[in-house]
Amino acid sequence: MERALTRAWFEDQSRMTPEELLTATFPMSRLGRRGYEEDAVQEFLTEVHAEFVRMVNDRTTLWQEVQRLRRRIIAGKSDSDPVLFGRADAHVHAVRILSTAQVTADRYVADAKAYSSRLTEEARQRHDEIMREAEQYSDMILEEAHAKAREAAVTALNTAVPPQTEHERQAAMAELAYLRTYSDVYRAHLRAYTEGILRGIEEWEQKEATSFQDGSQAMPFAAAPPAIDGNGYGRH
Amino acid sequence: MLRSVSWRWRRRKAGPLDVARLRESFAQVAEHGDELPLFFYSDLFLKHPEVRDMFPVSMAAQRGHLVDALVKIVSHADDADTLTAFLQGLGRDHRKFGALAEHYDAVSDSLLATLEYFCGPSWTPELADDWKAAYELISSVMSTAAEEDEQQHRPAWWRGAVVAHERRSFDVSVLFVQTEPRLDYEPGQSVAIETSARPRLWRYYSMANAPRQDGMLEFHVRLIDGGAVSMALTSSTIAGTDLRIGPPVGVLTLSQPVPRDLLFVAGSTGLAPLKALLDQLATFQQPPKVHLFFGARAAGELYDLDSLEKMAVQHSWLTVTPAVSDDQKFAGETGNLADVVARHGDWSGHEAYLAGPTKMVEDTAARLAAAGVAREQIHIEDFGWSEP
Repeated sequence: MERALTRAWFEDQSRMTPEELLTATFPMSRLGRRGYEEDAVQEFLTEVHAEFVRMVNDRTTLWQEVQRLRRRIIAGKSDSDPVLFGRADAHVHAVRILSTAQVTADRYVADAKAYSSRLTEEARQRHDEIMREAEQYSDMILEEAHAKAREAAVTALNTAVPPQTEHERQAAMAELAYLRTYSDVYRAHLRAYTEGILRGIEEWEQKEATSFQDGSQAMPFAAAPPAIDGNGYGRH
Repeated sequence: MLRSVSWRWRRRKAGPLDVARLRESFAQVAEHGDELPLFFYSDLFLKHPEVRDMFPVSMAAQRGHLVDALVKIVSHADDADTLTAFLQGLGRDHRKFGALAEHYDAVSDSLLATLEYFCGPSWTPELADDWKAAYELISSVMSTAAEEDEQQHRPAWWRGAVVAHERRSFDVSVLFVQTEPRLDYEPGQSVAIETSARPRLWRYYSMANAPRQDGMLEFHVRLIDGGAVSMALTSSTIAGTDLRIGPPVGVLTLSQPVPRDLLFVAGSTGLAPLKALLDQLATFQQPPKVHLFFGARAAGELYDLDSLEKMAVQHSWLTVTPAVSDDQKFAGETGNLADVVARHGDWSGHEAYLAGPTKMVEDTAARLAAAGVAREQIHIEDFGWSEP
């Protein structure tokens, strides 16, 4: 196959040429026997020769064209000459293949994006859940602390019939101290729990202060309310 | 100079360009939708493989940008001023991608090949000449603007170092960036940012401060679900990394003369450009009165309220009203930001600056217009060519 493509058929010495047709001679027939008329044979051969030449020329042209195209393909230079068969089709074909590959790549990126989007969405939901739980938790503690503080204040008011014994006074102070500590500890917990519920704590602190003020009006022995943290910028 | 570019739709040899014919053929090929830019880029990358590296892996958004730009060019073909400004911006903006003069020729070849392919039998030598001439005009306006920037030694992009990163809420982070060389811009403008974590993906962010002596830039970044760039920028791992920053763009700048009464409406990180304007106004001898509404879904997302309220305490000309849309327990204003703004009275005579999510901006603009604020007094962010 390779040989047939690289070597011209007319370079092959064993092949017959048109010239051999014209110069061919044959032995004469014996006298008295009938033979072909020499001129007619010669005329026919001339015609065959001409046809032969045309065929050879056609074949040579085609062979040269094959060689030329082959050289072009090997050299990879095909943009100067638009004659090459199917070049435009081949380019469009290549464009289509590349486009398909691009669309596949786009889909992978889009899938990755959708996946990352889902992850973010889940993380956000989880974040919101935690924040909600934290707020509920803080509300719960707040309620509990309020209830206890009110209860203590009311109890103190109802039971503190003057003259108050030193023991009772001490017990009330102890209860108050306990409640303050209780509230402080929980406040510290909440601060550590998450910064996001800072606002809740501020509300708690304010309400707590009010509650202490309420209590102090009712309780002549109550100490001054604790100082409120001066967090300059509330979000109200 | 650029402003005097004579915009004549003329072919160099023959008569004037047939704009109607261009539009007709574009309408015809535009029917192929995404196939059109898909063919264009494949053709371009096959003929010039070295160009591929200038684009991201996914070309989906890029194809949209190409079609948008073509639509804009074709639809404004007889509006020389708009078109020239658009193309000059486009040309300057392309410098950061490393676009060179020879790329314009490559694009020309592929654009013509694409149009020829999709026009089919209706592609004539005259039509080809028209498109060729139109593209030459387009590319010359673009590359002239780019060259002018080049000659004035304006960088194609600035190197930025993230010197600090603050996560303010689940979705919002504030970045402080130092650039090299110093970046000059007008307060209210934006830049495209590319992070080395997401190469070749550029996203637009507004500076949240007026230019400072030390050149520090503040950016407010909101996490977009699935957004590759915003995810990288909101992550704390961005601190200490390098960014590439494109030239400043955008028109949400203070109009001249400075209006007497200003209404600023910011939804979420739309606050950034408006905060830059506040920063600028604070340097004025007699600043105008400003009422800023800052809205978010929940109280926790009013990520910069502390610093705004500090500003309001410092400056008597500034009033800040926070509003929350999805949390009825919020002690301040609640509800849709457009409604909150509308509730606050008569804004006619005010110059309004709106920034934030598209829907919020559109709703607020519509409400203000309905309430008698002139359309030309409502300023909204318009990136023009550079959709983020």
